[in-house]
Amino acid sequence: MTGLPLKEILSSLSLMVRILVLTACCIANSYAEEVEAKDSSWWSFFDAQEPQVLVLKVAEPFVNLRSGPASAYPVFHVSERGEKLTILSRKTDWIKVKDSSDIIAWVSVSDVQKMHNLSDSKVILDEPKFDDYTTHPWEAGLLAGNFDKSAVNSAYVGYWMTENLSLEFWASQVLGEASESKLLSINLVHQVFPTWRFSPFFTLGAGKIFIKPKVTLSNESSRNEDTLNVGVGLRYYLSNRYFLRFEVKDYKIFTNRETNEEASEWKLGLSVFF
Amino acid sequence: METRSQRIFLKPVIASILVVSSVFSHLSQAQDRPLIEPDVEPVVIKEALIDSENFEIGGFFGTINIEDFESSLLYGVRLAYHLSEDVFFEANYGFADAGETSAEQLGQVQILTNDARDYTFYNVNVAYNILPGQAYFARRYAFNTNFYLILGLGATEFADDNRLTINYGAGYQVLLNDVFAWHLSARQHMYKIDLLGEEKNAINTELSTGISIFF
Repeated sequence: MTGLPLKEILSSLSLMVRILVLTACCIANSYAEEVEAKDSSWWSFFDAQEPQVLVLKVAEPFVNLRSGPASAYPVFHVSERGEKLTILSRKTDWIKVKDSSDIIAWVSVSDVQKMHNLSDSKVILDEPKFDDYTTHPWEAGLLAGNFDKSAVNSAYVGYWMTENLSLEFWASQVLGEASESKLLSINLVHQVFPTWRFSPFFTLGAGKIFIKPKVTLSNESSRNEDTLNVGVGLRYYLSNRYFLRFEVKDYKIFTNRETNEEASEWKLGLSVFF
Repeated sequence: METRSQRIFLKPVIASILVVSSVFSHLSQAQDRPLIEPDVEPVVIKEALIDSENFEIGGFFGTINIEDFESSLLYGVRLAYHLSEDVFFEANYGFADAGETSAEQLGQVQILTNDARDYTFYNVNVAYNILPGQAYFARRYAFNTNFYLILGLGATEFADDNRLTINYGAGYQVLLNDVFAWHLSARQHMYKIDLLGEEKNAINTELSTGISIFF
């Protein structure tokens, strides 16, 4: 009796390992391509002995320097055209700068976009764009909703391989009346129209569900099963950095019992690119 | 003969149409172009070149009153990601040890085993900096501050049960400098529990304080 489930667990584990290895290969491959294509790799970032100091020149008549990284903080100084500002760090859409008299302040990214470099060329800060996956290959999100009439909380990380296809790793917790389940799955996502702000997608995935019955129902024991899921969803890009995500998935749970189980799920949440 | 005369007649017409159209297209192109063409391409500054500090990691401790089970010491870890100057995501993972119910204190009954008294929770919240500002200390120091509201979901594991938990509350953040921040926070944890008979809403109040680091 005990031999059979162990065998099944082993076989499903080996399947998951194979999927993971394949995925890792895919990701490594696309990284290698990126490095070759762009010529300037992250190796050079580590090789550089001294950190690169970025100094920009004010090109507009003046820029406002604020005391903190938000438009609500007061303007306490201005830099005039031609003044040099050293870029220190960034917090959301604000950049910390130091001027020639060592005043440290915050300037908005939109103001920095209007500055010039020391050889008087215009500069563009490389910002992610929601419709260009190469500017943001990774995304992560948190969603909550309903799984088979119970509450579910989920988190995922996704990697865009092409403008249409991404690979996602999901972890969910289902908080049911009679049991608590944990779900792990790998999903392939196809975004049909990557340039649309309202963007529909399809998804297909495989994974495992770990079901733990509540203590009060002691006649049931913990079990884990293989699952397959299909789903459809909608992404709405609120900005170039984050978006709302809604999805409906249908799960098939393969059990050792006479019949397999099915569950439907919906979730809504917020995701970010990075 | 007829075709020849047609050809002779058509040739200049076609030629003149071509000339006129090419002149017009030149003119229209000239109008589209700016007077002075920039001869330098803008220099792209890679995002990785500027150190971005949108994450915040920290710890907190305080008290939480666990409904029917006294108030207890609470401690945990916190991770935040700032989406914009107004909005941030926040994830908390915390622990507490529940006390005794009044029935347990009065009589011989024991409602929960010691293990079941472990109170663990996680939550993920969306927060909004509703009142950013500045605070002044001892005349010499000025600190940036934020008063924020939070709302989110999570789970509470307590009394051999794990329940969906709704969190809401508010926090006050003082940025000691651009790296360290001090938080004061008050929030409610709301979940359903059926431990003492009928199912009811438990509302637990958390008061906590902590330090976080931006990275």
